[in-house]
Amino acid sequence: MNAKAEVTDACDLRFGQVGIACVRVRRVDAAALCDELERRVRAAPQMFARAAVVLDLSHLSNLPDDGAVDALLEAVRSAGMLPVGLAYGTSETEALAKRMGLPLIAKFRAAYEPAAGSTSPAEPAPRAEAAPTVQREPILSAPPSDGMHGAQHHAGSVRSGQQVYARERDLIITGAVANGAEVIADGNIHIYGSLRGRAMAGAQGDGKARIFVSDFRAELVAIAGQYRVFEQIPGDLEGQSVQCWLEGDKLLIARL
Amino acid sequence: MTAEIIVVTSGKGGVGKTTTSASLATGLAMAGKKTAVIDFDVGLRNLDLIMGCERRVVYDFVNVVHGEATLKQSLIKDKRYDNLYVLAASQTRDKDALTMEGVEKVLDGLSEEGFEYVVCDSPAGIEKGAHLAMYFADHAVVVVNPEVSSVRDSDRILGLLASKTRRAEKGESPVTQHLLLTRYNPARVAIGEMLSVKDVEEILGIEVVGVIPESENVLTASNNGIPVIVDAASQAGQAYSDTVARILGEERPLRFIDVPKKGFLQRVFGG
Repeated sequence: MNAKAEVTDACDLRFGQVGIACVRVRRVDAAALCDELERRVRAAPQMFARAAVVLDLSHLSNLPDDGAVDALLEAVRSAGMLPVGLAYGTSETEALAKRMGLPLIAKFRAAYEPAAGSTSPAEPAPRAEAAPTVQREPILSAPPSDGMHGAQHHAGSVRSGQQVYARERDLIITGAVANGAEVIADGNIHIYGSLRGRAMAGAQGDGKARIFVSDFRAELVAIAGQYRVFEQIPGDLEGQSVQCWLEGDKLLIARL
Repeated sequence: MTAEIIVVTSGKGGVGKTTTSASLATGLAMAGKKTAVIDFDVGLRNLDLIMGCERRVVYDFVNVVHGEATLKQSLIKDKRYDNLYVLAASQTRDKDALTMEGVEKVLDGLSEEGFEYVVCDSPAGIEKGAHLAMYFADHAVVVVNPEVSSVRDSDRILGLLASKTRRAEKGESPVTQHLLLTRYNPARVAIGEMLSVKDVEEILGIEVVGVIPESENVLTASNNGIPVIVDAASQAGQAYSDTVARILGEERPLRFIDVPKKGFLQRVFGG
């Protein structure tokens, strides 16, 4: 039986979904791009070293010429990541991808098609010195606009044994998080009640995520995989409103 | 008319679920309500002992669920109050003998018989028996002792009541939650050995419906097969009466939560 199958099919062709990082380029500056990505790779080598990434040029007002795109791709490579394609933008992007010999990942097809004719598909973000964002997100659930993921609101208490997860967004809890309960968000976490259980922000590796708690009695807090457990809650933090953030690899907690 | 279904549950064992079920059911009957109390703790039946009817069990809950006996044959009439009935658990079976459909059939049958309240005495844990006991509930009395492990388990149960009940699954108004603090010892609370009412309310985020003081009357009453609420002289009995009144919508202040003041002679001679 098996032998027969081998004769008929040389391979199987299957579609599947994979999470892939997307480098959204905000300005055509290969050196700055390389620096920024290098910093990301150093900060989380397991996550970003040799990670497959897609280059998204749709946030630039004008599509750069072939030479500039080549330089950007080279910048990504020298930072230690592997560019595997371009994100779908306009028909010009499609032509560009063809010339570069790269596949086009049809990520935002629906979002961009209506903008046909308009020369600048999206405004560059107002954060002038903000570095290009590297996002690691499943392709299908990527929102079309920049950064406006909104927040997930959970009214009331999160009881022991319950888990609340805000995918690709912030999480707001108006109630207490009990011992043995878990709240997780890919973005920030705000808790307007006691945190007695666990809170994990930046669950997909966003080191800029923060946790805000109005009554701190946590078992564990974590940001982008860096965590602290509290066998004994420090006296100066217990019952206080605090925020937690990441500085390098260090998880810091301070009163608000 | 459908009966109001009240589950008495806690997660943790040994906190006073069966004692509470017996007193709550008796209290409702004393208030003139036609009440049935069902022991869901199949395999470890106890309720009949506390209700003092263990020698009168012929058919039990599992028999009815399996259609081996009618509801009428299995309901045991209480010897004190003639509007109170007990449906005992089977001691020789286990919790797998209960089915969702069977339990629903029994509860519907009780409604048809004109019962106004059905008290379901849940087994400890969060497995099948406890799940079936809470699934059809309209009200829940969550029994908690003033210590951290009991509070943690109650928190888990409160979460399950909000998600794993028929009301939650059908998107109806949620199960009304009542927190009942039992085995409360004001003297030990005062010296910081026990959680206070306020601590427990704060951790769980809901108010208590009653506080039952730790009392030797409870053990004595249980051993004699008398629900402690019948003992109107005891503090625990009075606290249960207050609790039943509050569940029926009356407002009563909490009693027995402060350390009793010593009288003059006790202060002089010690005591």
